Amino acid sequence: MNCWYTQSAKEDDIVISSRIRLARNLKNIPFPIKMDTNDFQKINETVKNAVKSSNTPYAKNLKFIYMKDVPQNERYAMVERHIISKEFASNCENKAIILSEDESISIMIGEEDHIRLQVLLPGLQIEKAYDIAESIDRLLCDTLDIAFDNRLGFLTECPTNLGTGLRASVMVHLPIIEGSGEIKILADSVNKIGFTVRGMYGEGSKPTASFYQISNQITLGISEKNAIDNLNIITKQIIEKERKNRESINRLKAEDICMRALGTLKYAKILDSSEMMKALSEIKLGLSIGVMDDERIMPIKLLVEGQPFMLMRKFGEMSPDERDVCRATMIREALS
Amino acid sequence: MLCEKCGKNNATTHIRTIMDGVVREKNLCGYCAANEGYSNIGHNSLAQMLASMFGDALALDRTSASAHCPCCGATFSDIAEKGKVGCAECYKTFYEELLPYVKSVHGSIKHTGRIPNRAPLTVTPQGDSIESLRMRLNMLVSEEKFEEAAVIRDKIKELEGEK
Ligand SMILES: [Zn+2]
Ligand SMILES: [Zn+2]
Repeated sequence: MNCWYTQSAKEDDIVISSRIRLARNLKNIPFPIKMDTNDFQKINETVKNAVKSSNTPYAKNLKFIYMKDVPQNERYAMVERHIISKEFASNCENKAIILSEDESISIMIGEEDHIRLQVLLPGLQIEKAYDIAESIDRLLCDTLDIAFDNRLGFLTECPTNLGTGLRASVMVHLPIIEGSGEIKILADSVNKIGFTVRGMYGEGSKPTASFYQISNQITLGISEKNAIDNLNIITKQIIEKERKNRESINRLKAEDICMRALGTLKYAKILDSSEMMKALSEIKLGLSIGVMDDERIMPIKLLVEGQPFMLMRKFGEMSPDERDVCRATMIREALS
Repeated sequence: MLCEKCGKNNATTHIRTIMDGVVREKNLCGYCAANEGYSNIGHNSLAQMLASMFGDALALDRTSASAHCPCCGATFSDIAEKGKVGCAECYKTFYEELLPYVKSVHGSIKHTGRIPNRAPLTVTPQGDSIESLRMRLNMLVSEEKFEEAAVIRDKIKELEGEK
């Protein structure tokens, strides 16, 4: 399975992934907050049939899955892979998902809105992700009665998503901007133009290992194209700044940090996830600026695969202590 | 319930988090939630914002306690309390009440993005419908869907005639 975190892509020295999310609802069924079991069944069937009966090239690769059939560890592992939301993994009763083989396309049915369509690609590919999302959205809008108002746009359960229902985001790795204490300045300045900076796991997550998510906050009164163009411009400026700052760091010191991190990962017997993430973040920087040169090391792949539920999905149920041992072994083997 | 962080204020923000493989619920006050980086838009802010707009929560109850959405039965205080709207019809029923909130979140009350092909062409007295029909017309023309465009053009003429 070739998921986003196993591929290399444009600008991925800094941009880890690009994501588009569209929120849509059916007109004649109440929003999820007011839905009963019957309504859930109805939307599951309706969306499933709409996608199945379509002749888009994407439809063939899409699989319909009831979340109750997905084991709990796998559900939370999907959160760690950024395929579904935490809420959706926790309250999965009656819910379903339509998923592409490479997991780049996912359609959560019955999350906060009837339909949450997501396209997730590695590197900086916001436009491409949007094009894919739009083509699927057109198909949904053509076959389904989608709740829409000429003044308020696409109608959503939470008024914060009204309008385009579009959330465009990038995940970026900014160790040097972070190191110079400039994240707050960055956050303030993107805030002024309707964007927000968050930690790796989105809303409520603290920044981990210098990974940040940048996404648009406003969805009404701005077109999809404008939102995407703005995110692209912001991201390119951030890339430029981070790269420029990277030029002026002490390379010997950077190499030292990077090699120590590699030492930790190669020899540790017990590794908790924050230590792993910190070391992988340092190695990622080292690889990007060329103080380390080893194409076999894929920090982002290891970072995702070393997450707690990703480990348990593969190696079975474990206590946190057992997991730290398992993580150390997994990483050691990957680097040997 | 008191906020688990400061232990002083009431916990108004309840968040499910997964940290290091453990799923747990966090109960925070608005202040601590904001400090921890939880977005301040959403769940509770609608209630807070409305309360401050209308002076107090009681005033809010008085303004629209009687009106129910004909489709899902929600009242405006239901919506304000949860920050979530019950159904598509709610937006029609409580359009005026929701507008100040929508405006404060987005800085706009006018959709300028994509319009789905099957968007209803109903004309509402409050709406600037000619404008939205024109946008739709432009889009259909650019997509070379001339037959549909002609229908919309006639609708615009009709509306302009009414003026
Ligand atoms: Zn507190
Ligand atoms: Zn309603």
